[in-house]
Amino acid sequence: MSRLPSGGRVDRARPLSFRFDGKTYRGFAGDTLASALLANQVRLVGRSFKYHRPRGILSAGPEEPNALVELRSGDRREPNTRATVAELYDGLDAASQNRWPSLALDALSLNGLVAPFLGAGFYYKTFMWPAKFWESVYEPAIRRAAGLGRAAPGKDPDHYDKAHAFCDVLVIGAGPAGLMAALAAGRAGARVILADEDFLAGGRLNSDVARIGDEPSHAFAARTVAELASLPNVRIMTRTSVFGIYDGEYGAVERVSDHLATPAPFQPRQRLWKIAAKRAILCAGATERPIVFGGNDRPGVMLAGSARSYANRYGVAVGKSVAFFANNDSAWTSAFDMKVAGVNVTTLIDIRREVAPALAARAKALGIDVRTDTQVTGTTGQPFGGALTGLSIRTGGRNGRLAADTLAMSGGWSPSVHLTCHHGGKPVWQEDIAAFVPGRTPPGLSVAGAARGTYGLGDTLAEGARRGTEAAGDLGFAAALPDLPATEDTPAGITAFWHVQGSKGPAFVDQQNDVTAKDLGIAYKEGFRAVELMKRYTTLGMATDQGRTSNVNGLAIMAELTGASIMETGTTIFRPPYTPVSLGVLGGHHRGKDFRPTRLTPTHAWAAEQGAVFIETGPWLRAQYFPKAGETDWLTTVNREAKAVRASVGLIDVSTFGKIDLQGRDVGAFLDRVYINTFSTLAVGKARYGVMLREDGIVMDDGTTARLAPEHYVMTTTTANAAKVFQHLEFCLQVLWPELDVTLASVSEQWAQIAIAGPRARDVLARVVDTGVDVSNEGLPFMGAIERTVMGGVKARLFRLSFSGELGYEIAVPARYGEALARALMTAGEEFGITPYGIEALGVMRIEKGHVSGNELSGQTSAGDLGFGKMASTKKDYIGRVMAARPGLKDPDRPAFVGFKPVDKGQRLRAGAHFLTIGAPADMAHDEGYMTSVAHSPHLGHWIGLGLLKNGPARIGERVRAYDPVRGNDFEVEVCSPAFIDPNGERLRG
Amino acid sequence: MRIPCPYCGARDASEFAYLGDATLTRPDPAAPDADEAFHAYVYLRDNPAGAHSEWWYHSGGCRRWVKVARDTTSHAIAGAELAGGAR
Amino acid sequence: MTSALDTFPVTQMPADGHYGPAGIHGVSVRVFDPPALALLAARRGGASALTVAAHATLGLALADAPRLARANGLGTIGAGPGRWLVLAEAPEDLTARLAPLAAHAAITEQTDGYVGFELSGVRTRDVLAKGVAVDLDPAAFPPGAAATTNVAHINVTFWREPGEERFVFLVARSYRVAFARFLIASGAEYGIAFAHRG
Repeated sequence: MSRLPSGGRVDRARPLSFRFDGKTYRGFAGDTLASALLANQVRLVGRSFKYHRPRGILSAGPEEPNALVELRSGDRREPNTRATVAELYDGLDAASQNRWPSLALDALSLNGLVAPFLGAGFYYKTFMWPAKFWESVYEPAIRRAAGLGRAAPGKDPDHYDKAHAFCDVLVIGAGPAGLMAALAAGRAGARVILADEDFLAGGRLNSDVARIGDEPSHAFAARTVAELASLPNVRIMTRTSVFGIYDGEYGAVERVSDHLATPAPFQPRQRLWKIAAKRAILCAGATERPIVFGGNDRPGVMLAGSARSYANRYGVAVGKSVAFFANNDSAWTSAFDMKVAGVNVTTLIDIRREVAPALAARAKALGIDVRTDTQVTGTTGQPFGGALTGLSIRTGGRNGRLAADTLAMSGGWSPSVHLTCHHGGKPVWQEDIAAFVPGRTPPGLSVAGAARGTYGLGDTLAEGARRGTEAAGDLGFAAALPDLPATEDTPAGITAFWHVQGSKGPAFVDQQNDVTAKDLGIAYKEGFRAVELMKRYTTLGMATDQGRTSNVNGLAIMAELTGASIMETGTTIFRPPYTPVSLGVLGGHHRGKDFRPTRLTPTHAWAAEQGAVFIETGPWLRAQYFPKAGETDWLTTVNREAKAVRASVGLIDVSTFGKIDLQGRDVGAFLDRVYINTFSTLAVGKARYGVMLREDGIVMDDGTTARLAPEHYVMTTTTANAAKVFQHLEFCLQVLWPELDVTLASVSEQWAQIAIAGPRARDVLARVVDTGVDVSNEGLPFMGAIERTVMGGVKARLFRLSFSGELGYEIAVPARYGEALARALMTAGEEFGITPYGIEALGVMRIEKGHVSGNELSGQTSAGDLGFGKMASTKKDYIGRVMAARPGLKDPDRPAFVGFKPVDKGQRLRAGAHFLTIGAPADMAHDEGYMTSVAHSPHLGHWIGLGLLKNGPARIGERVRAYDPVRGNDFEVEVCSPAFIDPNGERLRG
Repeated sequence: MRIPCPYCGARDASEFAYLGDATLTRPDPAAPDADEAFHAYVYLRDNPAGAHSEWWYHSGGCRRWVKVARDTTSHAIAGAELAGGAR
Repeated sequence: MTSALDTFPVTQMPADGHYGPAGIHGVSVRVFDPPALALLAARRGGASALTVAAHATLGLALADAPRLARANGLGTIGAGPGRWLVLAEAPEDLTARLAPLAAHAAITEQTDGYVGFELSGVRTRDVLAKGVAVDLDPAAFPPGAAATTNVAHINVTFWREPGEERFVFLVARSYRVAFARFLIASGAEYGIAFAHRG
């Protein structure tokens, strides 16, 4: 074991067992998978994306590019999980990725030998020809060879959740700056959310060995977290990554159960948070940069601060002999820490000629060999697995060798500025710390600590406290700056350095996407020099780690090549999400049938009892047809239903239509302005069919509107346009004509509405209305609308309307009575063989009658196109009147509404077929319109259609070609009146 | 984005339906140049980078049309008022 | 949704009972039909006259804000400028009782338009946070505060009752099963008791 005998924030009293690539190991509670693997001296954990090079653990945090594993098994398998953030649990099962047959002996590591051919842009250059090989040969081969983990084979058995949170101050990151910011704002009484992606709050306070006041930094962190937890106005959310800023709202993912083998019963695996915060303080810290040199990707080469973190937080020695390679002071502190903790730190290699005397003295006192003005030029490793065994170094002009099983490197630190870019802010290069710091920040967001390049511990605590105080003060809280404890600050000197020139072997810049310094040279030579081009050409920074450890090195090397400064070279910016977010958590509960809410009609249960087949129409489920035993296809059923209505009587739930109550002195005048026809003259007790236009002159919707009282109308809209029409009417009343006395109320949900149609409809109606209600032709004439009672005192609105062309009524009752009404009608109609029918039969009958519906109200048709030209009043203005008079909409050659029947009556018409003059070529130049609706007419015994034909009404009797290349149909149809039955309307007036 | 509805308070933008430019006035349909004026009213829009006065319908809330002053480059909302005044 | 709902189709109201870990009771839901409900909407220019008349004839204090007020067996809930939902505590002919206000307001029967859901229990706000994008902290949303908003794509009007954690939602009738599914899917984590008023 390379677990240190003591120390760390792991709980040595709670050992855990886990498996990696089938082998069982032990770790402790508080470990990550990475720390536990290192404690078990497992150094090789994966194979690289493109070259299948052996890779180990580079970091101790979310920046990890190499140690990606498949976590869990079966349908819970999660590929590309970073071992450095995967919290260890008992029974954890992980496997390495992208290797075959095994991790140590990988067949495709031969890719490394052909690496010269796989450089930047090789996809574009190599797989150009022949084109058809791409799908059949190249892509499958590449997908097999290059890739990450495998997705789970089946449906994810877990569920995911979404939630909203609100606060005054959101603090992102619970390191020294974040803890102080939260403390300052929390003590002032502001509602604070403190979010950290780690499972242990404290950030670097758990990884460093510093003293704050009279206690170690980790104890200070624990004490501060305890105080925050005791404040009722502060909510601490660990395991929660804030991944994006969306105009004042913050997106975050809480990993509720990822640290468990399976979520507890009814617990989600993850929860998506949408956090509305008045202020936010970004305290996300900084990420250490690797140095680019030959062989820098070997297992055993890692980041210096991460090596320190393994020692101090996890009590793990990352190696038996550890050398450091750096350009800055922080690595020296890391080396000293580790040495004190009991790790065998042998050598400190620094590219600088001189370092602070205090550092040199401390190194000497600890017995660490110091090599200044020295660079690592190469690495050697074990024959299998490649783990580090030694280093080639160059001091001045002299080459030498050193033995080491671990190299801890540091090229300096990059502030985690990601979220500051989410509103278009561009990071700014700060020369003295050799790092990009935040530029313009999103509104309401400030930055504290290492995330803005403030590295000293004392400065970080102070800056966090100040930002927290300011944020609370901005919001009106009386905030006082907390007392700041004394700290011993460590030196932070740095000399910018990126790339060891002339080193041996591939020098990796982006280890996750296998991009080397040489690839950047190719991009430079081939002209892809601008950072955005370089990124896309080489794929640098485009892996799942979004280039956390590679972006700055990559553009610094490009700057060296072009001779420009880093600021001139610029940086790519970071877009949301900051960290990979699973699609499952974005969906939450809304999956499968719960993707969106389902609306149920008042008679749903009754229809289900009757054997209805349901169909989705928008959010509604409606009865499509009611098959009976022995009916083997839908057409048989629909034919029976339509015939039964025309022969006797049927019923259908039409509650889904939009229903709007209009009340007030000016309703009639208002309706005159929104419909093309006139409603102010409508008599009380009567209904009228109306058509409304959009302001551009195109038909918006149609329906019947009835006048129940002098100042009370009720409008119906189509099912699909109910919300749109309501919104339009509110616009007219609130914005265009606020002087009108009209109030609207949606009554779509209040009233269940059932249509009964057929020659026996009146007989059925007469049996459900209460005694004394006259439904005779005189008492309730065609287009009558009256309020009466049915079924023994139930309020009802009775309308004599017909969509089917038969004698028809619509009966509206309060929604709770809808089902009872359906049952009462069934009983009342039993002797006439009353037939429930669905929207298919309704569609058949409206096509037979030549009524327009959604297919014709397509958003492209004018009132004139649909045959409503004569309905339009010329005595008033209405919405759309002026624009409907445009020459283009008045053009007599516009396709207009007519009926069609096949010349060969055996032919089945298809909606979507285009009309051509017989003999004309089948091209767009000769297109004369198209078929909008078709049905098999049981009444006529053949298929019929409705459609829009150029100059249609003048061509009745003519034959045209119905051309449907999509389904391979091409035959002649005869143009006819759209009213296939009862053109004079005798049935519905009877 | 959250929109400060004068009646309901700050609400998520998903509760609102967007219409656009709130500075337009429906032209006089009886005017001699009504065709031209309606063409402009229906189709012609400025596309300012910066301050914009626009209609949002609070369909998920109070069902009021709200005139919102929004900066199109930053989404910063300077204010919001109900259409039609008090009713 | 969650396994708690696997046995119920989206077309059927989930059965009364407990959903979630046994022995854990974080929230209770009671589904009820409103005894009587109407929409009161001030006519053009009639808001102040309506307020005066409502107070004089029915003793109702109509605040032009999203708030609940109660008097004489009626609760009024602000649903928009000049618009209130009026909910009776017992069945009655509400439109008849409100008729004296007809000169100043449009009165629309809505008893059947909505189904009520009353939520209570210590985890109520945690359940609601999963769908309600309104700050329900007592400081921001005290007892009597009301809101009309979308919850899981369903439009609702709700308010907070006096008492620590009690909220009442009015949900359009056609969405009642969908809303129940939202509650159970979101509440099973905390243990949810689901019942219809007997």
